[in-house]
This record gives sequence, structure tokens and C-alpha cells, in this order.
Amino acid sequence: MSAWRVPVALLAVALAYPLVFRTNFAINFGVLVLFFAVIGQAWNIAGGFAGQLSFGHAVFFGTGAYCSTILHVKLGINPWLGLWASAAAGALVGAFIAALSFRFGLKGSYFALITLAFAEAFRILTNAVEFTGGGLGLLIPLKRSAANFQFPERIGFYYTILALAALSIAIALWLKRSRFGARLAAIRENEDAARALGIDTFREKVKIMALSGALCAAGGTFYAQYFLYIDPVVVFGADKSVEMLLVSMIGGTGTVYGPLIGAFLLTLVGEGTRALTNAQGLSLIIYGGLLIVIIAFLPNGLIDLFKLRWGRRRA
Amino acid sequence: MSQPSHRLTRRGFIGAAAAAPVAFGVPTLLQAQARPIKVGLVHPITGFLAYSGGQCRMGAMMAIEEINAAGGIKSMGGAKLEALLGDNQAKPEVGVSVVEQMQEAGVSAYIGCFSSAVALPATQAAAKYNTPFVIDVGASDNIVNRGLRNVFRLKPGFNACVDDAIAGLGEINKAAGSAAKSAVLVHEESEFGTGTAKLLAGKLPSIGIEVREVMKHANPTRDFANLALRIRGLKPDLVVMSNYQNEYVLLARTLHQQKVDLAGMFSVLGGGFNYKFVKELPDVAQYMIDTNHWFDPTNARAQAMKKRVEAKGDLFTFEVYLAYNAVKFLADGMERAGSADKEKVNAALAASTWSDHFMPYGPTRMVNGQNTGGKAAILQASKTDIDVIWPTRFASTKAVFPKPRFS
Repeated sequence: MSAWRVPVALLAVALAYPLVFRTNFAINFGVLVLFFAVIGQAWNIAGGFAGQLSFGHAVFFGTGAYCSTILHVKLGINPWLGLWASAAAGALVGAFIAALSFRFGLKGSYFALITLAFAEAFRILTNAVEFTGGGLGLLIPLKRSAANFQFPERIGFYYTILALAALSIAIALWLKRSRFGARLAAIRENEDAARALGIDTFREKVKIMALSGALCAAGGTFYAQYFLYIDPVVVFGADKSVEMLLVSMIGGTGTVYGPLIGAFLLTLVGEGTRALTNAQGLSLIIYGGLLIVIIAFLPNGLIDLFKLRWGRRRA
Repeated sequence: MSQPSHRLTRRGFIGAAAAAPVAFGVPTLLQAQARPIKVGLVHPITGFLAYSGGQCRMGAMMAIEEINAAGGIKSMGGAKLEALLGDNQAKPEVGVSVVEQMQEAGVSAYIGCFSSAVALPATQAAAKYNTPFVIDVGASDNIVNRGLRNVFRLKPGFNACVDDAIAGLGEINKAAGSAAKSAVLVHEESEFGTGTAKLLAGKLPSIGIEVREVMKHANPTRDFANLALRIRGLKPDLVVMSNYQNEYVLLARTLHQQKVDLAGMFSVLGGGFNYKFVKELPDVAQYMIDTNHWFDPTNARAQAMKKRVEAKGDLFTFEVYLAYNAVKFLADGMERAGSADKEKVNAALAASTWSDHFMPYGPTRMVNGQNTGGKAAILQASKTDIDVIWPTRFASTKAVFPKPRFS
């Protein structure tokens, strides 16, 4: 029962949040925190749990955003169905990149670079072909209704991204406790040893990349429906890959709640510093300074703060 | 019985001084002073569009200071405009956050966003509150054609600029005995460059100019050597460019360094075509032609503002006067609305026939939020200045076309 205390308490707080903080600004803040937590968790289950570091997770994010948007704008398919199609497309791209890379023995920084290359290739491709709108991007027609995944009020988006965030944490919890998760941990710690123990490392790595791709792509669909406009730079750009990696690193890689903590802190710092100062670039300097401090003093992420606290209590 | 003392003590004096305004009704006057009207400026102040965003902010702030110095919005009891400054970092999600943040702060209207990718979601966010949003810079026609009743744009969009460019280029080329018969289009990869190039590719043949190739480049690109070699190989009469500041300058410089002979270099909304370019690279800039937003050079107020900006050591770029005029347009709407009520201001802006600007536009005529009176000008750089060469009624000089050859 005690194992469920943290997720249940977090869920209760998250459910109550928009009922307590009712302004659109506060709800938008909550949406951004959960959104970054979802895509950060997508990176974390591959990079943190399985040790497959990626610099190009935007490839999955963009695939998801473009998949549901093209289905919706060009073929008239409802974006709620598009969400599932995006997850499937993200899983396929994840499995494809993983199979291709791992078949040729790419690992570590080489794998990270190949993911970056794929993200860039997808960006250039979407820029070049007509049906993706090229550099013009795709504008989703404004038609506000929940049935159309365009909630008239932000609170609808909030609960949708909360559901995705809850799912992402459930996946992380499952990975912590399942045999699949244990096999991934073995691969992360020592892939040769894992193989010697009889683990099919290729299959396990492809599976986790597919899962990570699916979750990240679902985040891409959410982004497209929330902002109603996507273009190749916005969704396949290196910025998105870095944001996913950053929330996970700052919060704590390979942990269940690290991406959520990282997303909360980085969004808070980003919004806070912007609100505090209008001096050109000062908010980014403060943001960067804070990141350096966190990385210097908490190399395992902010989750260490909580561990220390709990550790002291137990002692 | 002692007489009451009439001696004024220090304590008594302070007390009387504090009480006097109450007795004379000063608080009533203070209450009557109109509350400031908050105007949100949503520009990219950091990131790769920081320079342009900073120029927009400067223009908007100059207009706000001018309006306040002239007594504020008179129909609202002299209410002053108060700028809320926001940095959208050229990111859609940040733009939306800034809009929400300003809404919490009680904003009455927005000015922004320079980037179309930010303007699209930011205007939508503002539409939830029906808050007026005046686009100062942002070329995409999608910004104003989605039926959002709170969005207005004073300047012309892609389509209108390209139409003006084609009309003007057609006339200039005809006057030069059709010196240009072929062109290569070079554009940056985002919505601005791609959209402009797509329209140009479709319309250039209508004025007898064949498009030999359309070339796209990434943002940022710092080496145009290969692209220049390809252009040289294609031997076009014209190179038509649509790119942001740095890429515009670098491409022009590379073509000049490689001595690629052309009848002319023409651009539509060329991001780098400004006084800075002329000042820093006069040999490269000379004879280059651009279709862009430009002030009416015959307007004395425009020239006075140009001097004020340059006196501060800044450049009078299109961002400055577009943002300046966008704020003035908004203030005129508020003046006529006589209230900061969003519905009333939106209605006043939609019905606007404002002509107190210094753009070559004539009175504003809003259709679906777009000023249909907006017009781009065709400009040509000399070694020291930029002149309007089309439309002829605003022209300050005649076009030099075709330009002298290197060989």
C-alpha cells in the first residue's frame, strides 16, 4: 500500500490543482509542466531506464505531431483517433531507428548521434515535401470542441495531458517493478553481462525504443492540438530534443518522478525569471545559472534532494 | 479662563498639511485620474530573432512615450498607456505563456509578435479573452484569415507584398526593355521564406520571367559559397531572395565576392535590406532592390522619427516604424472607442479609417482584420542610402536596372 502513496497523493494534487488555481495562466503553467513531464518521461524510459541516450527524440515528437495533423487536416480524421495513430507511428519509427542502429552495433554516443541525425533528416524531409506543408507548416483549423480535441477551456487540455502524464508515470512504475524493466536495467549497467545472462538485448532495446517513441509521439499530438500550428523547425528542431533530455537530467534520469520534478522546476524557473525581469536575456542567464548550480551540486538530479530528506527521516 | 493658543506648532503644521488635501477634495481628483491602459508587447527579445524583436520593442515604446507625452487617450480622461514587456523567445509555447501572463496582469491589448509561428497561437490565446491583438510584423496571411475578431494587421501580408513586388518588378523590367528574362529564387526554410518563394514562383512567369530553380536554405546558414556557384552555373538574370537578416547579408556578400553577373538582385521582404547593410557593406548593397514595408519618404514626421532613432545610434529599420504605427493605430481605436472595453476597441479597430500614419498606405480599410490599404514599396540601395523607386508617386529616385556588370 505504501508504494502507492506517492503516486496517489500526486494524482490527487494534480486533479485538484485547476480547481484551486483557476486562472488560465495557472492552468497553462500546469499544462506546460505536465507536457514536459510526458515528453521527458518518454526520453527517460529509453535514456534513463535502458541507458539508450538519445539526442534526437524530437524525431518521435515531430512524427506524432505531423501524423495526427496530416490525418486531421488532409483526411478529416478526428484527432482523438489521430492520437492513437501517432502513438503507433512513433512506435514504428522508434523500432525502425533502434533496429537499424542496434543491428549495426551502434551504442553510447554513436547511438545518440544517429538519433540526432534522424531528427534532422525528418526535419529536412518535412521541409521538402508538399503534403507536410513544407516550410509553411500546417495550421489546424480552429474549431473549438472537446470532440475535436480543441477544448474551449484550457482545463480540458489540462486533464488530457494529466492523463498522459499519469500513463507515463504508470509506465515508469511498471518498468521499475517488472521483469522487462529489470532486463533493461541489466542492459544499462552492463550490456555484455546482460547478454551473457541470456537476455536478448537487441529485442529489449528495440521494444523500449518503440515504447518511448509511442509516448513521445502522443506528446507531439497534444502539442499540435494545443497550439494548432506546427512546422518542421518547431517540432523536429534540436530545441525539443534538448528540452526532453534536460527535464529528465535535471529531475533525475532513470527515476520514476525525475522528469516530473525536472519539468516542474524548469517551467517554474522559465516562467518565473521571465516574469521577474524584462532586461534582455537576463531571464535566460538566470535560467542557465540555475541549471549549472543544480548540475554541479546535484549531479543525479533534484530527486536526490527528496532521497536525502527521506533518508534522514528514516535515520 | 485660558485663551486657546493660536501658535502653530510643528506637529500641528504637519497635521494640517496632511488634512488640507482631504478638505480641498484632492482625493477626488486623484480618483478621477484615469487608470493606465496596459499594452502587452510580445516580441522575441532573445533567440535568433532577438535583433528584430528588439527593434519592434523600440518602435512600440517610442509610440507609447509619444502618446503619453501628448496627454494619453483623451476620450478616456487622458489615460496613459503602460507597456507590459514580454519575450516570446520565437517559441510558440513561450508566446502563449506570455499572453496568459499579461492577461493576469490586466492587459487591454497586445502588439506583436514578429514571428508568424508565434503569432498564430498567441493571437488564438488572446482570442479567448477577446483582447485586441495588433500584429506589427508577421507576414503569414493565416494570422488574419481564421475569423478571429480580435486580430488586426496594419501592414500587408505575404500575398499583397508579392502582388506589389510582381507589379513593381514588371514595370521596372518593362521600362528597362525586359532586361530580366530568368530568375533563381533563394529562400529560407520557414513559413516566411517558403510561402513567399512559392507565390513568386507562380507569379514571375506572368511578367515574362522564367524561374530556373528554387533553392532553399536552413536557418542559420553561414556559408553560401556552394549556393553561389550553383547560381553562377544557372546564369539567371535575377536572383530573388526571401530570407532573414544574417542570411540575406551573407548571400548578397557571397554573390558579390564571387562576381556573379546579374541584371539585378531582387528580394521580397528581404530581412537584411536596411540602413545597417548599406552602412556596413556599401559596395555589396549598391543597386540591390527589395520589396518591403517602408515609410513614406515624403512625410516630414517619418523623417523626424528617422533622425530621432539615428540620433540614439540605432537604425530606422522596418520593425521600428511598423511597431510604432501599430501602437498608434491601436491608440486611435481606443480613442474612438472611448473605453478600454475589449468589444468596443475591437469594433473601433475593425471600422478604422485611420490616416495619421507615415506609411504609403492611405486610410486604413480593415477586411477580416487585414488592412487592405496596406502597400509595400520597392526600394533600391545606393552606396549611402535607400531610395523608394516604386510606386512612382512615392518614389524618391529612378531605378538603376539592369545594374552595371562586374566584367
